[in-house]
Amino acid sequence: MISTSIKQLLIVMLVVFLLAVLPFSVAEAAEGVQVTVPELSSSDYPVIAGVNSRVAVWLAAQLHLWFAAFVLAVPIFVFIIESIGVWTRDQRYDEMAFEFIKVSITAYSLTAILGGLLAFSLFIFYPQLMTYLTGVFSESMFYYALLFFAESVTLYVYYYGWHWLQGGDKKWIHLTLGLLLNAVGTLLMLLANAWLTFMMSPNGVDTAGTFTGDTWGAIHNFLWNPINLHRVVANVAFGGSVVGAYAAFKFLSASGEDERAHYDWMGYNANFIAITALLPLPFAGYYLTAEIYEYSQQMGITLMGGVFAWLFIIQAVLIGTLFIAANYYLWCGMGRSEGAHRYYPYIKYIAFVIVASFLVWFTPHTLVLTNEELKALGGPYHKYLGPLGIMPAKNTAVNLMILFTAVSFLIYRRSNKLPTVSWVQTGNALQIALFVAGIANILILGIYYGYFTNTVYKVAASIPQVLTTLVVIVISTVIDSFLYKGAEEVAPLRWGRVPDRSQYALFLLAVAFTWLMGLMGYIRSGIRQHWHVTDVFRDNSVDAFTPTLGYAANVVSIGVVIFMAMVVFVFWISQVSSKKSYPEGYWKTA
Amino acid sequence: MTQFLKIAGFSLLVISLFATYSNLGIPQIKPAPPPSQESVDLSSMDMDSFISLGEKIYNTKGTCTLCHNELGGRAPMLDNLGEVVSARLEDAGYKGSAANVVDYIVESMNEPSAYVVKGFGKVGTNDQESPMPDVRSGSIGLSEAETLAIVAFLQDSSGLDVSIEIPSNVEEVAEVPEEVPVSTGGQGSQRAKYASAEEIVAILGCGACHKIAEFEGAIGPDLRLIGQSRDAEHLRQSILDPNADITEGFVAMMPPIYGDQLFASELEMLVEYMASLK
Amino acid sequence: MQKIPKLLQVVLIVVGVYFGFVLLFDFILGQVIPSSLLNMYMFFIVAGVLAVYTATEDGTRELVAPIKSLVEDPSKKKTRNIVFAVTPVAVALFVYLQLVPSLEAPLELRSIHPAPPSTVKIYGKRFDLRTLVNPYRKLEEEDPEEFRAMVEAGASIYIQNCHFCHGDKLDGQGPYAAGLNPVPLNFQDVGTIAQLQESFLFWRIATGGPGLPDEAAPWISSMPVWQEFLTEEEIWQVILYLYDYTGRRPRSWEE
Repeated sequence: MISTSIKQLLIVMLVVFLLAVLPFSVAEAAEGVQVTVPELSSSDYPVIAGVNSRVAVWLAAQLHLWFAAFVLAVPIFVFIIESIGVWTRDQRYDEMAFEFIKVSITAYSLTAILGGLLAFSLFIFYPQLMTYLTGVFSESMFYYALLFFAESVTLYVYYYGWHWLQGGDKKWIHLTLGLLLNAVGTLLMLLANAWLTFMMSPNGVDTAGTFTGDTWGAIHNFLWNPINLHRVVANVAFGGSVVGAYAAFKFLSASGEDERAHYDWMGYNANFIAITALLPLPFAGYYLTAEIYEYSQQMGITLMGGVFAWLFIIQAVLIGTLFIAANYYLWCGMGRSEGAHRYYPYIKYIAFVIVASFLVWFTPHTLVLTNEELKALGGPYHKYLGPLGIMPAKNTAVNLMILFTAVSFLIYRRSNKLPTVSWVQTGNALQIALFVAGIANILILGIYYGYFTNTVYKVAASIPQVLTTLVVIVISTVIDSFLYKGAEEVAPLRWGRVPDRSQYALFLLAVAFTWLMGLMGYIRSGIRQHWHVTDVFRDNSVDAFTPTLGYAANVVSIGVVIFMAMVVFVFWISQVSSKKSYPEGYWKTA
Repeated sequence: MTQFLKIAGFSLLVISLFATYSNLGIPQIKPAPPPSQESVDLSSMDMDSFISLGEKIYNTKGTCTLCHNELGGRAPMLDNLGEVVSARLEDAGYKGSAANVVDYIVESMNEPSAYVVKGFGKVGTNDQESPMPDVRSGSIGLSEAETLAIVAFLQDSSGLDVSIEIPSNVEEVAEVPEEVPVSTGGQGSQRAKYASAEEIVAILGCGACHKIAEFEGAIGPDLRLIGQSRDAEHLRQSILDPNADITEGFVAMMPPIYGDQLFASELEMLVEYMASLK
Repeated sequence: MQKIPKLLQVVLIVVGVYFGFVLLFDFILGQVIPSSLLNMYMFFIVAGVLAVYTATEDGTRELVAPIKSLVEDPSKKKTRNIVFAVTPVAVALFVYLQLVPSLEAPLELRSIHPAPPSTVKIYGKRFDLRTLVNPYRKLEEEDPEEFRAMVEAGASIYIQNCHFCHGDKLDGQGPYAAGLNPVPLNFQDVGTIAQLQESFLFWRIATGGPGLPDEAAPWISSMPVWQEFLTEEEIWQVILYLYDYTGRRPRSWEE
């Protein structure tokens, strides 16, 4: 027996599904389309009210992107958490998933508003560029609008139907909705990604940029998939860090023990999500970079050499901050159980390796030298630090950093448990052997192939390094889960018993992540240099020049402050919505 | 509320640390500005670059140096305009309507016969008609902005104060090739082949000196019926090495560059065309 | 370690690491560590050490106990006054020393590997650096004997023209090298030609120092503009020799 309302729901889902697959069925090359690139001069760019058009579009785009990333990422892990809840039948997961999606639903309307702001500012400040792009992408932009409807409908049903669709078949329908929501959201992102990667690596047009109807070619351009992958992973990490900040905010302003315990647990899970997604992110980044080189050596060198080389030093500082903050949060979290005392001595070794790896990662290829140092060294090259400036050293360092962050995780998991299985010693030995072998392999690959063979192998060696890291993490986690099956509790895990310092680590994580995303958004766009569409559509506005890193950092900082202010508003509004007050004598009594 | 302020303060501190490091901790290298482009954007130009644009056009597209050069007496040198213009404006032989230096130079380019410097007139016109073509005409085709750029260059190079304003009219965006297209046949050349001999004549600007097709140049020999007196062999030589055999009454001044600017098949096309002019 | 107070431990570790770096690089290895780098290193080392010491509640309490007692304990009034007086002075002195103008010439910041232009004009021709390849590289497979001859030719061109600065071992230690700043590149270094494609080398050799983009400070490079002295063919041969002698491979993505 299916109730009427469920029937109606199923129809809605069917419509959404059809909306989502529609683009695929009619994606056929349109005949006779001809979109040409106009030649522009600086007077073709409107100047409105003295606003710096580049900064205006830059901020609008970045703010939209932050919110969009958040809004797309949250349903991904909400779906996963909800599934875990269904699997374990632990209601806490269901409640947490609902709280996450509640935060994102307010952010959703802000995303749409900012998207509108971005579109308007683009059309106002760069009308010719937008005429060209809408000419090329007319169909996909139309489907984008349609999909946005589908996304809204699914999200609202998913959120508002949460408590209605509980238990049995209804829960399964709700889970399917979650899946559908993610599918539509991802599709939306893929479409928008196609537009921007088209600007980086145009495809489906001739050398003069004339578009003759090869829509799929324009969408499926060279950097589309690398960006897609990188963005999905980064979005999840970013989304996790923002909800982590939400939990930290609630934790710090909580009044009762129960509330503290709840938000501590929520913050822990958010941090777990952020770090799990952060670990593969460097690899997605390397893949993207390799593809950029493959697309154009010039773009690659612009990215990694020259002026932008220093941007990666800033990036290294930020990622180092992320890793240290995430590990620090885990170490602080060990205080939740008395059983963790056994593991405190190991913290300093982990910290040592992470900091040392970070220092290697941070060492720039071109050193900033005073004249005296230059004279003492006899040149800009440093015999011992120079080799740390290139890729093999950095690959090795980042792999070690990731491995030791995984060690932090394993130790944290063990902090309040005592294994009871018979093969404890063997299991531990196996894990230690695994880590030692993995580290040795990473070091050998990095040092031997990095410095004693040819460039081809240098690049190639990074792949086995990554595989080693992933294999070690996966296998050791599997061994660990068997090893601690049915383990005794040494001391209870007391959620809520963490110092406030650890919550600031969560804020640091969110701020650093946001700032980092802004910075990388700048370079992604910046490597096009003075082109609207690389090598095809030249930017002739007065803002065609590439700004200095300091300038970019300031714009990003302003953006982060605005974003944080808006996020605080979102947190606040989601808090207000659950408050109810009943003023005495206000309403007339019946 | 205190919690909120603490968190806000902490976040702002972190952001400002990142910003400070990016501004002070790493070198602020100014990336190179975008490379200059062939089609010139006038509104973002200062006077110096406008003058150098004029120089470029003077030497290339304008083909001015073909005649206004130190080699021969086909056209006056222009490096002393500052001294002579005011005298010319008062001269009885001046037929134009200009009242100042700028107008005079523009006029001299658009209506060259308004004033003909003694000894530089068309043969047989008693210095009443100038052999110089109108710079707006087909083979040269300068726009108003380009003409003004040349005026700026001429004023500057002859020691005058530049008194023109950079035109703001966007329609007049000047297009300047980086140099005269020199085809050495290497991988550097990318232009499409010329389709006909008439096109070659128009593009290379033969008509600036010669009478050929619709052009009325009066510096070099009349080529309208050249096929009657010269065979293909001689014509080819006259293009590749113009000074090997000078027609009587003319001086050696045709530049030997045209062979380099043409593909072999284009050269043959041109030779064939000229040989057929009977 | 048990007897030493935690605060002192932190200070000792940080100071020890600092001087450890100085000792290691400046004295043992004989290559000074740049102060800009060391400062950033120390920032993160301090962050790491503090993270370890404040990870547990007990540790944190022990760490801040001396500071707390200094501020709150009435019996430590004297010490407190001294510390409160000395600290601002020390900070002011530090800031003053950082900001006082010195006689040192301003830094020349140059990128050693600037991004190449997409096309470049050499020998009056336009080369597309994105697609340009060494025309003789293919001989390595097709005609090894001819390839050896090309490398030999490159070797003699190198010795006649380049070794004065870049050295007979291609290590940047030629007889004139000591007189140049910036010093000639060391091709043996893993960070130089091994990181680059041959088209990049062609561009750098043919247009020399003056052909560098602004970010690479063309006014302080003494590399000659070799297109005025060597032929296109000769430059490609020298490039073959550079890779052959050092045993490096040009950067490429397919193999």
